[in-house]
Amino acid sequence: MTGLALDLLIIASLIGLAIQAINGASLFRGIIHFVVLGLAMSLAWARLDAPDLAMAEAAIGAGVTGALMMIAYRRLIEIRPDHDNATRTPRSRLALPIALASGVLVGVIGLAAIQAEPLPGQAGIAVLETLESTGLGNPVTGVLLLFRGFDTLLEITVLLAALLSAQAVTRQDDLDRSLTTEDPDTPLIGALLAIVVPLTVLISVHLLKAGSQETGGAFQAGAVLAACGVLLALTGRLASSRDYSPLLNGGLLVGLVSFILIGLAPLLYGQPLMALPGVWAVYFIESAMMISIALTLVLLFAGAASLKRRSRG
Amino acid sequence: MDSATVYVLAAAVLFGVGVHGLIVSVHLMRKLFAINIMGSAIFILLVATSAPISGQTDPIPQALVLTGIVIAVSATAFGLALMVRMCQETGNASLAVEDEPENDD
Repeated sequence: MTGLALDLLIIASLIGLAIQAINGASLFRGIIHFVVLGLAMSLAWARLDAPDLAMAEAAIGAGVTGALMMIAYRRLIEIRPDHDNATRTPRSRLALPIALASGVLVGVIGLAAIQAEPLPGQAGIAVLETLESTGLGNPVTGVLLLFRGFDTLLEITVLLAALLSAQAVTRQDDLDRSLTTEDPDTPLIGALLAIVVPLTVLISVHLLKAGSQETGGAFQAGAVLAACGVLLALTGRLASSRDYSPLLNGGLLVGLVSFILIGLAPLLYGQPLMALPGVWAVYFIESAMMISIALTLVLLFAGAASLKRRSRG
Repeated sequence: MDSATVYVLAAAVLFGVGVHGLIVSVHLMRKLFAINIMGSAIFILLVATSAPISGQTDPIPQALVLTGIVIAVSATAFGLALMVRMCQETGNASLAVEDEPENDD
């Protein structure tokens, strides 16, 4: 009973926040509501027994998306300071019926899916049965890297494609602009960074290592590491740059390239494509992906082609 | 009513709210909120409808949704970049609405 009450409370806040995010008075408040919506989503995942998703939603869904939206909002404000006022919604007679119909459609599909008997050859059963022989303890990591590795490979390709496309539409003359306006050299910021940065790196490496046996994984770890990069960019330690940086580009590609190479290697020994040779390969690919994911997200945030360390003083 | 049914109904409502927002909002960022909310509704649907396997949740929908969350943030980031560029070019990040010229200022 308490569980159901908790579910209803989470759902009520999900729906309320969604309505507020879309229809609220100001755009900035909409962003805040959207970020809180992500956190409520992560509670919902926890209630649905999906801790990996709860963590991913909190780090990526709420954290990174929120940061991206706020920096985009700031750029809009820079272009046009009265931006928030132009958000009047027009009337549309068809909107409500269409929304109702699509909501009912989703509900009917979902209720039908719950009623349906699970098929005997369900893939999840095979995953849970064979997981022990692979040496991994977290079935979600197992699916992501061993059983449906192609999905994950394409996923980081999409992430890279998003970065390239975003860079293609970002104006070149904006790339040198700094992300921070305040004086970044106050002693407080230095002290804050001295504590937060090592802690963030520690947490992300822990998430990465934990991902093979329990909750965690490359995506959560990469998002936490990206938060560290965003913090460094906002406090002026990293600045946007236009210069080609082999190290940075290598970091962007290392996840994709190592996944492809390790995925191709089994062909040499007559094994099927993407049959990863062992747990070490999972660790290796996840570490490489963590670096690539973190760098991609930081570059998306900075809207820059490259980053450089800013000389201080 | 069990937890799965409750979350399926929640997904239905969230999807409806998202579709409604996508149609009525003028500002592109609100449209991005709406698309993300529709996506989240489908993610909840996928996980809530998966049958538990001997007490454990099915890992396959979870992995698919994890992939989906990352794809959603990629698409959102690209959408935001497009929106900022549009605002730079036209001075406006809203879609102009016919018959309501005051929206354009």
